[in-house]
Amino acid sequence: MKLKNENQNAICKLLTGHVSRFLVFHFVFLILLSACSSQKKLDAYTDIYSERPQVIYIAPLNDLSMRHALRTVDDSIYNLSLNIAAKHLYLSAADPLIRHGYYLLGPLASAQIAATEWRTGKQLRNGDIGDYYTELGIDAVLFITLHGWNATYNTWTVEVEYVLRSARTGNELLHVSVKAMKMLTTDFKGYLLPLREDVDFARRYGCDVETAQRCRLVETLNQYVLKDIPSGLKARQHTTEGYIPSHPEYFNLKIHPDGSVQMLKTELYE
Amino acid sequence: MKNENQKTSHKLLTGHVSRFFIFHFSFFILLASCSGEYVGVPRADVLRYQTVSTYGALHELATSYARSLNDAVRVDTLHPGMYAEYGVALALMGHTGTACRMLNAEMKTFPESRGMVQRIKKRLMPDMLVDTLATPHDTANLAQLASWAYDSLTALKPLPPLAPVIDSTDTAWVLQQTPVDSIEYPIRLTATQKRELLEKQQAEEATRQQRIADSLAAVKQAALDARKQAQADREREKQEKEQARKAEQKAREQQREEERKQKAAQREEERKRKAAEREESKKNKKK
Repeated sequence: MKLKNENQNAICKLLTGHVSRFLVFHFVFLILLSACSSQKKLDAYTDIYSERPQVIYIAPLNDLSMRHALRTVDDSIYNLSLNIAAKHLYLSAADPLIRHGYYLLGPLASAQIAATEWRTGKQLRNGDIGDYYTELGIDAVLFITLHGWNATYNTWTVEVEYVLRSARTGNELLHVSVKAMKMLTTDFKGYLLPLREDVDFARRYGCDVETAQRCRLVETLNQYVLKDIPSGLKARQHTTEGYIPSHPEYFNLKIHPDGSVQMLKTELYE
Repeated sequence: MKNENQKTSHKLLTGHVSRFFIFHFSFFILLASCSGEYVGVPRADVLRYQTVSTYGALHELATSYARSLNDAVRVDTLHPGMYAEYGVALALMGHTGTACRMLNAEMKTFPESRGMVQRIKKRLMPDMLVDTLATPHDTANLAQLASWAYDSLTALKPLPPLAPVIDSTDTAWVLQQTPVDSIEYPIRLTATQKRELLEKQQAEEATRQQRIADSLAAVKQAALDARKQAQADREREKQEKEQARKAEQKAREQQREEERKQKAAQREEERKRKAAEREESKKNKKK
């Protein structure tokens, strides 16, 4: 019994007097662990590490998805939903890059720069973009191509292609093609049940729930695809950090209602 | 022994547990602050403006940018492009001077943005393309931009106010002029600086009001003097006219009297001449 009491006292000490030191040590240990570098990320993102871009410009969204012909009211609502989701795909692509320490202009300023561009999206995507580096000081341009939307009774699907091209050399620093699916919840009769997060998003953005679900799908997709690229100059970790890349070049992404994400590797983009 | 265990558990659950939870709570807060709330582009307002491109939506967007900028400076997480976004929004609203200041602040804060910002200035405000130091219209009052950015949070004001209004209860913005290259950029004020700025502005406002009152009194006195002078002039003119009229009337009467005397003399001469003629005719008849 005495031993039990001593144990309890030790636990009590650990929980009171030494808790702060204990937590500080663990916190420092976690930081050290996170700072440990490996060669896997260097191998996965060799081009980005070789170029070390600092300023990234997101080109206007190349929207290749089909819209419904305007015949009924539902068509206009559906098309408006797709338009808003496409805009949100472009707007939410900057967040992960800014968090990684890259310099990006916002959507209004980028629109002003895009308004001075005389080339089409396809010409920009495949042609020479050296003037972006010489005239504007942009190191790399991110091209986002929206290939299409699809929907079943409980699944929203979007197919997006990300290409990061260097403005200095014209090389492709990153190329990802992904088909993301958002699994919706249904009740026992098969009717859709919107999530509370979707309803909050719709209330905050002033749109309907379907649009909110599509917007959250593309936002999650942006965060997933761009979440582990090498950090930019603001973070100053170009040569020290290293993480395991979370996804291959071609993959399908399945987002479940509980927030879990399932990635299925594919060979070719379909 | 059972009592001792109960005491220990009681201690664990009362005195130390609270500290334990406080430590853990602070640790969670620390972790949450590590992840950080992203203070950046207000995507909802941008989406609304891109969907419905009206002046009201643009003003809401500019207000959101001002709020985001204020929050970002408050928590020291100024993300790239925020000055440029706010500047472009202001330029689209027509406030090119303030927009030029914001774009200059973007170039000052992030030098790698120079090419892009120059391209934006060339498109939106080509007359201010070479202006990278100051703006022409509001250099006199450094707090004008700050007060407008603060006021735009609360009310729709199409143009910046002429008199700066700094609230003493919340964060205020001023532009600090650096001695090196004289580029002005906004900073956040401390409470003491805010109070001093408020007192200085109140003193300036009192001086201005006194000057306005003095000038108004001087103008009023000048108006009264002018009115008295005009009245005196009118009186004098009236008297002169009266005197002239009397003199003219007197002269006219004298002339009339002379004419009357002349006529009487003529009549007398005529009567004498006729009397002489009658006497002469009488003499002729007698002869």
